[in-house]
Amino acid sequence: MELERIDTQKAYNLIKEKIITLQLKPGAPVDEDALCAEVGLTPTAVREALKWLSHDHLVDITPRHGIRVAEANPAELRELFEMRLPLETLCARMAAERATADDIVVMDALVREYERVKGAGNVDILLDLDHRFHSALADAAHNRYMRETLERFFGLSERLWYLASPQTEWVLNALDRHAELVQAIKARDAERAAGLMHQHVLDFQALVEKALGLTT
Amino acid sequence: MTATQPVTRTLVLGIDTGGTYTDGVLLDYHTREVIASCKSLTTRHDYAEGIGKVIEGIQIDNPAEVKMVSISTTLATNAIAEGKGARVALLLIGYDKELAEAFQLHQRFGTSQYAFFAGGHTLFGEEKEPLDLEGILDYVHRIKDSVDALAVSAYFSPMNPEHELRAFEAISRICDLPIVLGHQLSTKLGSVERATTAALNASLLGMLRDFVIAVRRAMEARHIHAPLMVVRGDGTLMSEEFAARTPVETIHSGPAASAMGGRFLSRVDTALVVDVGGTTTDIALIEDGRVQVSEEGATVGSYKTCVHAANILSIALGGDSHIHIGRDQKWTIGPARVVPLAYLASQYPTVKRRIAPLLQKGWGQIDLDQLEFWFLQREPHPGMFEKGSREAEVVALLREGPMCVTDIVRRLKLIHAGQIGAAELWRQEIIGRAGLTPTDFMHLNGVYRTWDVEMSEIAAALFCRNLGMDVKTFHNLLWQRIDEIITEVILSFLTGRQLAAPDPLHDVDIGRWFFRNSIQTAHPHLETTLRLKVPIIGIGAPAKIFLERVADIFHTELILPPYYWVANAVGAVAGSVMVSEEALVYARLSEDQSEVVGYYVQTSESRTYYESLEEALGFARERVRTLAWEGAVRAGAHSPQVALEESEDGLDTYRIRARAMGTPRLA
Repeated sequence: MELERIDTQKAYNLIKEKIITLQLKPGAPVDEDALCAEVGLTPTAVREALKWLSHDHLVDITPRHGIRVAEANPAELRELFEMRLPLETLCARMAAERATADDIVVMDALVREYERVKGAGNVDILLDLDHRFHSALADAAHNRYMRETLERFFGLSERLWYLASPQTEWVLNALDRHAELVQAIKARDAERAAGLMHQHVLDFQALVEKALGLTT
Repeated sequence: MTATQPVTRTLVLGIDTGGTYTDGVLLDYHTREVIASCKSLTTRHDYAEGIGKVIEGIQIDNPAEVKMVSISTTLATNAIAEGKGARVALLLIGYDKELAEAFQLHQRFGTSQYAFFAGGHTLFGEEKEPLDLEGILDYVHRIKDSVDALAVSAYFSPMNPEHELRAFEAISRICDLPIVLGHQLSTKLGSVERATTAALNASLLGMLRDFVIAVRRAMEARHIHAPLMVVRGDGTLMSEEFAARTPVETIHSGPAASAMGGRFLSRVDTALVVDVGGTTTDIALIEDGRVQVSEEGATVGSYKTCVHAANILSIALGGDSHIHIGRDQKWTIGPARVVPLAYLASQYPTVKRRIAPLLQKGWGQIDLDQLEFWFLQREPHPGMFEKGSREAEVVALLREGPMCVTDIVRRLKLIHAGQIGAAELWRQEIIGRAGLTPTDFMHLNGVYRTWDVEMSEIAAALFCRNLGMDVKTFHNLLWQRIDEIITEVILSFLTGRQLAAPDPLHDVDIGRWFFRNSIQTAHPHLETTLRLKVPIIGIGAPAKIFLERVADIFHTELILPPYYWVANAVGAVAGSVMVSEEALVYARLSEDQSEVVGYYVQTSESRTYYESLEEALGFARERVRTLAWEGAVRAGAHSPQVALEESEDGLDTYRIRARAMGTPRLA
């Protein structure tokens, strides 16, 4: 058991959480020493974790500016959505064509769990379910490059949720779509699944842009 | 250039966490020479603490010379016996709910949280009924926040693990809890034992992982960068990664390590190994260099598992067993373990000052509660006990220093020791107890001179005066009793039988007569003797005095190998690195189930189909051999040798087991 890897993983999870939930603001310089003290781990582990996070595009490491939390400016947003939109749409299409019975049972279970917990309106739980649903859908596409690529976007997207300072009803609106998606996948209706996902991502984009005051 | 080459040594560090002490030895692996050793009290509230102290305290001149660290640990065994594992939900697929309830099988599952789901396979690897994945996922969603881990066991999963694997895939997409699958732990067909093993394994995952990490940190602090191994219940070694995944395999690893240590140091390959510790005496048998393993699987507490572990018998008798007066007003020894008075007095001079004046008093004026001292072992965490609670009062009293029970009762204004109510304080090792022990008597006759001899003399004198006996007579009776207990337990271990309870009113049992007459011939004409055909290897500090006469009773040789007092820790590094792999070959039936149309081979990685049995067996042998060999090399074995065992399980089913074993690679 490599202690370094264990510590790095721990540091990675803790720092990622801080970035996603905006405890570390976009564009803010990262103070390594302060971070070590905060997460209670060694400088080696924290440095390595920051490298992993730069792979996720959540942290920028540049020779001139040192280490900063990645920006979330309009340009970045545009780039992210330009990729997410076609990819997630394609993913939904592939899932409708290829999902196994077990894949569908998993997605169904997540939708049922959503119905069960939505009344409580806990945004963290809802966001976790949203993430799991999109991951399950990516699994159902049965293409590992798709899975890997989307997983990297999920971290960035989650941060956007928090940036848009989520109100419970937005989250609920978004998650309500999942049930329809599962129906389309069950019916093997690739067109409909793709269309629903396309709209799902566009809605999310609009929401974020509005919240950040980017829409004219 | 100088001509003298530096002597290259291969040092290994072995650590054993026993019931009383954690022992560490630094050993030269090739010469079997113990270079340094270190002893620290076992810290049950956090085993890593005692191990950390041993790693910190042992003298190591050049940490780079240490090529391997290996530990045997009672962590798993104790956690199971004391019900301290993490919270586990057990998912039973294809099990018969009514049957399980009728036979009260749930008491054997190792967790109180369990649920039944449709699914499972038949003895021929065919799906019995479709898997209720929906039900499984809804259940997991419901309970996921109230458990720490999940265990899944499907009916006949060793034949076909498909349902377990599908459950795993699906569950891991909806939550992040660790999941243990039955078929990965055992290919045995006993469905209840497999479920129990999976549940217990799940309950130990986090604990063993934390333990391994803590040991790693202690090693790091001393700049030891070497592979870390953990001893299995059969005395072989597994890598730390493997141990963190299959903690149940460490069940009985302590006694197994002792037996391996005894063999390693004595270079005797067949013997009865008796390990006399502070708390217990453990008996194991080594045959042809291997610890005898109980084939049906190890039992811990009330749980039957399918873990291959040493066949051991353990009794609560050791150097630190409490010698006291029982309820029937007769003296007894054990089963409680206490700190020897000689030791306590050597740490706290006040203890002797409190007791010595009692020697002036006459028979009948000595209250034996005065010979039992309680002392503060560690400070409780603030807020652990409420202010004004009995526990808090006792802790406050003991901050003044060790105090005898009589004084505690008086200071708390109670009448009887039973009213103190400090069980929780003992259990959490916040306070310790000291009293008269065999170790004290060993100080008396000069076997030991380590601690306060005078204290032992005073305590023995007081105890014997209370019994109305002189010390010498009692001394003889004490060792006679110990000889009898150990003789009886060796007989039980070897025969699997027990001596009938003595009936003082109607003593006609010939078994008991044989037993007594064989220890000391009492019959004028009929002599009976016991003759053990293998030598006894004694291990542990008190082994010499505990076993000398026992060996005489059995008319065999007592072997006390060099460093026998730390052989348990030596045993932690003495085993081979072992990886085993199994395959099941079983018949595939035709649609109407009337004839055999081919054979399936189920290995740990896949299921393949063959038309002929010959082909199927050939493939199975080849596959398990390769898998075991590769696994052993990955786990750190040096050019492992693979042995195949085959058995027929009936119904055209064959079990092929490959064991790859090699000495640890020490580079």
